Amino acid sequence: MSALLANARVVAELGRRSVRQTARRPQLASPLVIFPTLLLAVQVGGAGRAVDLPQFPEVNGFLDFMLAGAMVQACLMAGNSGAIAFAIDMEMGFTDRLMAAPISRFAIVLGRLAGTAMLGAFLAVYFIALGLIFGAEIQEGVLGAIWIVVVVAGSAVAFGAIGVSIALRTGTASVVQGLFPLLFVILFLSNAFFPTNLLLEPSATVAEYNPLSFIVDGLREPIVAGFSATDSLAALASVAGFTALGLALCAAAIRARAMRGG
Amino acid sequence: MPAIETEALAREFEGGIKAVDGVDLEVAEGEIYGFLGPNGAGKTTTVRMLTTLLRPTDGRARVAGYDVVEEAPQVRRSIGVALQEAALDPLMTGRELILLQAALHAVPRDRATALASSLLEWVGLTRAADRRVGTYSGGMRRRLDLASALVHSPRVLFLDEPTTGLDPVSRQAIWREVENLNREGTTIFLTTQYLEEADQLADRVGIISAGRLVAEGTPAALKAQVGRPHLEVSLADEDGQHAEEVLARFGKPLPARDGKLLVQLEHGASEVAPVVRALDEAGLAVESLDLVQPTLDDVFVAKTGQHLEGDEDTGEQEALPEAEPAE
Amino acid sequence: MAGTVVWTWRSQAAAIWILIRRAGNEIVRVPGAAIPGVLAPTIFFLGLTSVFGNLRLLPGFPDTESYASFLIPVSLLQGAGFTGAATGVNLARDIEQGWFDRLLACPAPRPAVLAGLVLSASLRALVPAAVLLAVAFLVGAEWPGLAGLVIALLLVMGMGMAAALWGTALAFKFRTQSAAPLMQAGMFILILCTTAYAPLDLLTGWLHTAAEINPVTDVLEAVRQGFVGEVSWADTWPGLVTMAGLVLLFGAFALRGMRKMTD
Repeated sequence: MSALLANARVVAELGRRSVRQTARRPQLASPLVIFPTLLLAVQVGGAGRAVDLPQFPEVNGFLDFMLAGAMVQACLMAGNSGAIAFAIDMEMGFTDRLMAAPISRFAIVLGRLAGTAMLGAFLAVYFIALGLIFGAEIQEGVLGAIWIVVVVAGSAVAFGAIGVSIALRTGTASVVQGLFPLLFVILFLSNAFFPTNLLLEPSATVAEYNPLSFIVDGLREPIVAGFSATDSLAALASVAGFTALGLALCAAAIRARAMRGG
Repeated sequence: MPAIETEALAREFEGGIKAVDGVDLEVAEGEIYGFLGPNGAGKTTTVRMLTTLLRPTDGRARVAGYDVVEEAPQVRRSIGVALQEAALDPLMTGRELILLQAALHAVPRDRATALASSLLEWVGLTRAADRRVGTYSGGMRRRLDLASALVHSPRVLFLDEPTTGLDPVSRQAIWREVENLNREGTTIFLTTQYLEEADQLADRVGIISAGRLVAEGTPAALKAQVGRPHLEVSLADEDGQHAEEVLARFGKPLPARDGKLLVQLEHGASEVAPVVRALDEAGLAVESLDLVQPTLDDVFVAKTGQHLEGDEDTGEQEALPEAEPAE
Repeated sequence: MAGTVVWTWRSQAAAIWILIRRAGNEIVRVPGAAIPGVLAPTIFFLGLTSVFGNLRLLPGFPDTESYASFLIPVSLLQGAGFTGAATGVNLARDIEQGWFDRLLACPAPRPAVLAGLVLSASLRALVPAAVLLAVAFLVGAEWPGLAGLVIALLLVMGMGMAAALWGTALAFKFRTQSAAPLMQAGMFILILCTTAYAPLDLLTGWLHTAAEINPVTDVLEAVRQGFVGEVSWADTWPGLVTMAGLVLLFGAFALRGMRKMTD
């Protein structure tokens, strides 16, 4: 039990460090806010008339529809950013110092992810506030907002775990950074920015089965319509699935590093 | 007309930091002028002002007869510059770099091609000429930098710490090339933190400390000012204080260095035997004893109370790559 | 041994050309260096085409078989913007590493040095443009006609130069590679706050106003005209004038910034 407590303390401490790093260098975190906000603003202004298309779902406004996509985009970027920070720690030798300490290696990963979760939660609150200021309505009210914050934070952790596993494998920040375009490929092949039934092929087919789409729906429904049990469960399952995959990959990468001795 | 002259030249940075604080100097045409000082003394800032890379905040300077502020383009046409960082593009070959410099100095293409070959031969880089600079060793880069500074036959050449970080062999090679250039009439303004370099190469030396010129003259004249040799004593056990008292009877104590006690002998080398006797009578076991004639470092100590840093090759030396290409 | 340097048009052109060639080394001699500049706009082009493709069904949208025709001009300009911003980032690196001192200390006129730094971006902008056009035609974009293509590529090259001047101005101001996001963001915003996604009448809210004011909208429409309809001088000259204006404006900032490097 004491080992668990000790590791929990490590996770909390590393999580705090991660948050402090972000707070002290906001210019590094600002792209996570500015870029999705900019895209959101341009897409709402540019494609906003899409709500007039016959097959477009019933929504209060295009902004209400787009908020979920912006949040998912932001937490993909947050996960990538956390992984880059982890890779930089590795390059600087800080991770080696942690690994030489009498703490669980997994705690080192979880510590970084704890920070990413905080970042995800912050981004969720930011976009909810932004949406409300510019006229969006959350149909499910306060409960819906809380749900959104939880799912976004969880998604950030999930994507962060996958990113950190890549950082553990490669040890170089530039490789992790190079994944950035891939994030957008995944986003475009989902319903983040447009309803699945209005996407062109092959995006439409891919989006139907893309687990990211389930997360988007799970975030979107409370805003535009209200909770849907199916969508919520699917979203949770996707987040859990990504998280499990990410953590498994991290564990394998940690083992591989231990074997290599570096 | 002097090749370089400055009048109360100064540069102040943000926060009131005076990197150069009123420097007056004059360098005659055809001279090698050594600008000596420790790290942070203001050498590089002075060079940057003289090469129009930085504006003075006070005072004036003229290079090759042109004002560095009002006539900067004319200054640039007359000078060659090899700066401390030896910034070279690793993706270019040595030959391409020289051709680039030639183009940046309006040397016609046909002349530039022939010039590149002869300059590369002059600095011993013919075989490496068409290899990328990224594969060159530190010494090769410095030689290439030197060659590229000469492509337009400048009247005045500025070399900012040209041999810092180089091994002794590469250093000697650069020195030979500098001497050859000077024989052909080029004025050379050389900054260095190495005494031996200034001593060996310079016709005259200016010593800068904390942004001010503290001494100027030929190496011989400067050393003669300090005059007397000093003794460096290393004791077998550490009774430093007692030993200092003994030594003080024979001359002026100087700041200790590398664990050795130093004293400037009042009456010269004839004092050596009496010093040894005095230490012996005091029961102090001497490990080593060296009589050292005045050096430029002594001049520096006399003027500033401190030793010059980076003295005697104690600076970093660049490791040569494993397979050093034969030149 | 004393040398003299005489500057003629010819010697300035030689200096400019050698700097252009040096800049070209960045993509020719570094394996894979060209990929990010091509990959990002291509991903965005394909992604946005498949996501917003059905916007063309809205009444008021130009009559075109494919949204790709409408969107490709945006991606062409984005590719040029990205390439130009990379020039700024490379210059910032050169300043940080001391290479730029070499250019500052040489007697070549400052405008010639600046031209040498940024003209390469004009040419390099054609690399992502070529790839994007090939991809666009593959997914159904319409052939813009020779005149339309020439105008488009001319403006793409102009955009590359304008973006390079923007990036260069920022490099001189901040003298660090960490200004890179600002270099890229500036161009990104300029190109997106236009009729990028839909014609002016179909834009909503603030974007409608922004696109009306933003001079780059004229550039975009000039590039787009052949892809969605007929080429006309009336649609061309505003784009050319705007591009020239941007180049002059950013050029003035960049030149001023270079002169202040010695302050």
